[in-house]
Amino acid sequence: MSAATVSHKKVKASVLVEVCSVRLAETWFGVPITHILEIVGAVRPQPVPLAPAYVGGLVHYRGDVLTTVSLRQLLDLPPNEGAQAILVLESTGGCFGLLVDAVGEVLTVSSTDHEPNPSILDRRRKALFAGAYKLKDRLLVMLDPERLDPLQLSQAHPD
Amino acid sequence: MPGKRCNCPLTPDPCFLKFILFHPIKALSARRAGAAKSRLAGWFKAMDELTREFLIESQEGLDRMEQCLTDLETRPQDAALLGEIFRSVHTIKGTTGFLGFKRLETLAHAGENLLGLLRDGKLAANRPLITGLLHLLDGLRAILKSIETMASEGEGEDSALIEQLVALQAPANVKQPVHAKVGATFSAAPAAAAPQAPSAPQAQAPVSAAQAPAAPAQQPANAIPAPVVQSAAAGSETDASRPRAQIAAAGSAAESTLRVDVVLLNRMMNLVGELVLTRNQVLQATASDPNMTLLSRRLDMVTADLRENVMKARMQPVSNIFSKMPRIVRDLSQSLGRRVRLVVEGQDTELDKSLLEAIKDPLTHAVRNSLDHGIEPPEVRVAAGKDPEGTLKLRASHEGSHVIIEVSDDGAGIAVEKVRDKAIERGIIAPERASQLGEHELLQLVFLPGFSTAAAVTNVSGRGVGMDVVRTNVEKIGGKVEIDSRTGKGTTLRLRIPLTLAIIPALIVRSVNQSFALPQGSLSELVHVPPEQAAKTIEWIEGAPLYRLRGKLLPLVFLDRLLMPAGEHKSASERDSFIAVLDVDGRRYGLVVDGLADPEEIVVKPLSAVLKVIGLYSGATVLGNADLALILDPGAIAVKAGVTMSADRDAEGADSEEEDTNAAKGMEYLLVEAAGRRAAVPLADVLRIEQIPLSRIEFIGDRPVLNFEGQLMPVEDSGGVLAAAEAEANSASQTDREPQIIVVVCREGNRHVGIAVSHVLDVAAGGDLFEAGTSQRTGGVTLLKDRVTGVVDLAGVQPLPVCENVSEDWNQIAETVA
Repeated sequence: MSAATVSHKKVKASVLVEVCSVRLAETWFGVPITHILEIVGAVRPQPVPLAPAYVGGLVHYRGDVLTTVSLRQLLDLPPNEGAQAILVLESTGGCFGLLVDAVGEVLTVSSTDHEPNPSILDRRRKALFAGAYKLKDRLLVMLDPERLDPLQLSQAHPD
Repeated sequence: MPGKRCNCPLTPDPCFLKFILFHPIKALSARRAGAAKSRLAGWFKAMDELTREFLIESQEGLDRMEQCLTDLETRPQDAALLGEIFRSVHTIKGTTGFLGFKRLETLAHAGENLLGLLRDGKLAANRPLITGLLHLLDGLRAILKSIETMASEGEGEDSALIEQLVALQAPANVKQPVHAKVGATFSAAPAAAAPQAPSAPQAQAPVSAAQAPAAPAQQPANAIPAPVVQSAAAGSETDASRPRAQIAAAGSAAESTLRVDVVLLNRMMNLVGELVLTRNQVLQATASDPNMTLLSRRLDMVTADLRENVMKARMQPVSNIFSKMPRIVRDLSQSLGRRVRLVVEGQDTELDKSLLEAIKDPLTHAVRNSLDHGIEPPEVRVAAGKDPEGTLKLRASHEGSHVIIEVSDDGAGIAVEKVRDKAIERGIIAPERASQLGEHELLQLVFLPGFSTAAAVTNVSGRGVGMDVVRTNVEKIGGKVEIDSRTGKGTTLRLRIPLTLAIIPALIVRSVNQSFALPQGSLSELVHVPPEQAAKTIEWIEGAPLYRLRGKLLPLVFLDRLLMPAGEHKSASERDSFIAVLDVDGRRYGLVVDGLADPEEIVVKPLSAVLKVIGLYSGATVLGNADLALILDPGAIAVKAGVTMSADRDAEGADSEEEDTNAAKGMEYLLVEAAGRRAAVPLADVLRIEQIPLSRIEFIGDRPVLNFEGQLMPVEDSGGVLAAAEAEANSASQTDREPQIIVVVCREGNRHVGIAVSHVLDVAAGGDLFEAGTSQRTGGVTLLKDRVTGVVDLAGVQPLPVCENVSEDWNQIAETVA
C-alpha cells in the first residue's frame, strides 16, 4: 500500500485516496479505508495473559473471536483507561482489530501530498508508519495495515 | 454403448427420454475431440457442475459396490447383491459415455461384461473373481480421483486390469447356459421377432441367441415376476429397465433429501452460535419488561430448536465409516493368512460429520492392529482350542453425551509381560518402575510413542506408530481411548467420542479477574480450600506446592502465578481457593483457581496464530453473559508447569503404586461408617450423598423412608444410625441444632435405595478375598485399606409395600406419631 502511494508520487500523477482518520492520544493517524471492514465502538477487549505485549486482547466480532492489536502499546504510550474503538482490518493473514482512542472522519487526500517516513524517525515507528500526508493544518501519519497484522508483528517483535 | 441405446427407442422408457435429453451433450462431446484446446477448457468449465455431480454419485456407487462385494463373499448366490454391484458399474459406464471419459468407460465396460455374466448366473462368485472385481473398483476409484484433482483421467494404463477381467470371463469359469430359463423368456415374449437382433452388442457367445430378442421384449418381460427376468434376460439387455428402477428410487430420495456443502453447514453452526448469544443478551435486557417476556421466551425456544436441528443436520451414521471396514478386513485377512468374521453393531449411531472424519484413521489403525497383532493364524487358533475363524467386532453405542466405539477381537490378547519388557527395552520406562505397575497400567503403555509389540515389522502394522496415532487423533477431538486385554481371550479397544466437536461442556473458573473455561473431559473433582485451612492443607516441598488429597500428595499449579508470573499474588490463606483436580494423559494435578462459576456448554472458537503459540489456550468462547473466556488446555498447562508423568509418580511415591495395584485388582467402594462399624458401598451404584435433618426421615410401620425428590425411597438402617442419632438428639436437646444424618443414595436395579450412615470416610479400591483352603471367592466382604469390610447388600433392601397398603400404613403412622 505504502509502496503504491509512493510510486504514484514519483510519476507525479494525482490519485485521490480515501483515508479514515483515527486519534491516539494527541496524534491523528490515517488508515486507508480499503482495508477497513468495520468500525466497532466502545469495546473493552478481554486481556489474554501471557500474550505478546502488543496484543490488546480479544473481542467478540460477528460470531468469531478477534485478536486486537493495541496501537498505544506499539507506540509505547500509557494504556487507555476508558473504552476504545476498534477498526476491524483485513490483511493477508485474516482479520484483526486495531485498538484506537477515537475514530475521526474519512478524508480524501491526494497522493501528491504524500511524503515518505522522515529519516530521523526511530526504527520501530519507521516500520509501522507508511509516510504522511500533508494536510492544510496538520500532518496525517499513515498506518500500514499489513505491518500491523499480529502475525507480522510477532515476526518483527519476537518478545 | 450408443448402439445399444439406439436399439430401444421403441420402448416408452424414461431411460429413452434421458437419452434424448443428453443427446446434444453427447454430440458436443463428440465434437470436443477435434476442438481447440482452449475451447475444450471452456467446455469443461461449463460441464463442471455435471462432472462434479457425476463424481459424487459414482463415488457413492463404488462405496456401495465395495460393501456388496465383501458381502458377496459370504453370500455368493445373492441376486440382489449382484444386481446392486452391476448397477454401480453400469451407471458409471453410462454416464462416462456422454462426459467423454474414455478410459473410465473402457474399464467400466470390461467390468460390466464380467458382472453381466455373474449376475446371470453364468459365473460363480468365487474368491479370485471377487478379488478381480475389487481391483476393478480400485481402478475406477483411481481414475475418478484423478478426474477430481486434475480434471483429466490421467495417463494410467488399464490394459493389464482389463485383461484380468477378460480372463475371468474365460470359458473355464463360464457355466453352461441354462436353456430352460432362456426358453421361459421366449415363451413370455413371443412378440420378440428379431429385427433388431443384429444390433445386439458384442454379446457373450453362448447366450447371444437369447439376448437379441430380449430388448424389444422389454414390456412383456417386465410383466413376468422379477426373479425370472433377472436370471433369464441376459447381459446388457436389462440396461433399459435397470436405470428406470434406479431413477425411480433416486427420484423419491432426491425429493426428500438435498446435498449441502459442509462449509455452509459450518457457517450455519457459527451463525446459530451467534444467535444463541444474542438471544441470551436479549433475554437479559428484556427480563424486566413484562410486555417482552412472551416474545423473548418465544425467541428462546425457537433458537434452542434451531440450534438442535442444525446440529442434527451435521450428524451422520457411523455406518459411513464402518462400511469401509469389511474391505479392509477382507484384504488384510487374506494377505495375513487369517480367517476373520466381522461383526458390526450399532451402525445407525450418529456422530458429527467432522468427528466421523477424525476417527476414520484411528479406527482403521485399530482394525489393522486387531488383525495383525490380535487374531492369530487359523492353525494357532486351532491349537489353542479356538474356532479357526476369529471374530472382529465393531460396536457403536451412545453413552450419555458420548459415543462409544469398540473394536474387539477374540485373538491372543496383549501379553502384559511382553509389553513391560518392550517398554524397558525401548527405554520408555525404568525397570524398577515397571515392576511396580499394575496390569492395567502396563497395558496403557502401548499408547506411548514408539511402542510396538509385533515381533516383526509387517507392511500392515508394527512400525510402532499405530496406537500412538490412535490416541493422539482421538484426544485431539476431545475423546478418550481405553484398552482392555486378556491374554488368550482377546483385546478390546474403546474409543469415547464426544457427540459434537463444536460444543463442549466446560466449567467456568475465575482467576486473575477473568473467566476461563476448563473442559470437563479432564476434570475429575473439585476441592474447596477455605483460607483458614489453606496453610494446613497446602504443603510445600522446596517451592513446589502440594495438596493432600485423601492422603496422597497432589502437585498443584496456581493458575494466577502461571498466567501472570510477574504479578503480585495473594497467598491461599488470604482468600478462598478452589482446586480443580485434572487428569490428562496420565498426568494428575490440581489447578488452583480463585473461584468457580457455573458449568456451561461452550462453543469453541479458534484463536489467531499469535495466541495459539502461547500454548496454554485451546480456543476462546463467548459466555452466556456475552463475556469472552479463554479455554484452558489442561494438557498444555501440565507440560508448561512441568507436571510430567514420571515427576507425578515420583512425587506421589510408594503410596500411588499401592493404589495402582489395588485399582487393578478390584472395583471401587465408598467406605462409610454406620454407628461405629465400617461398611463398603459399591461406588458405581452411588448416585449422591445427602446430608439431611433427621426429621426428614419418616416411617412406614417401623421402616424408615425418605421423601427424596418427590419420591419415596426406602432407607436401610441396619447399623442403627437413626436410633443413635435420635438418642444423641434427645440427650443434647438443650442445643437447638437439629441433628443431621447422612444418606447415601444408591441405584439398585431400577429403584433407589438410601443407606443411613454416620460418616462417609473415603473412596478406595477393594480387593477380593478368598477363603483359606477352598480358595473360593467370598461374597459380601471386600478388602478395603487392608481391612476386611462388609459390602452393603443393596438388593437385600426390602421393597416398599405396594400402593393399596401404603395408605393403611400411612394411617398407622399417623396413629403411631400421634
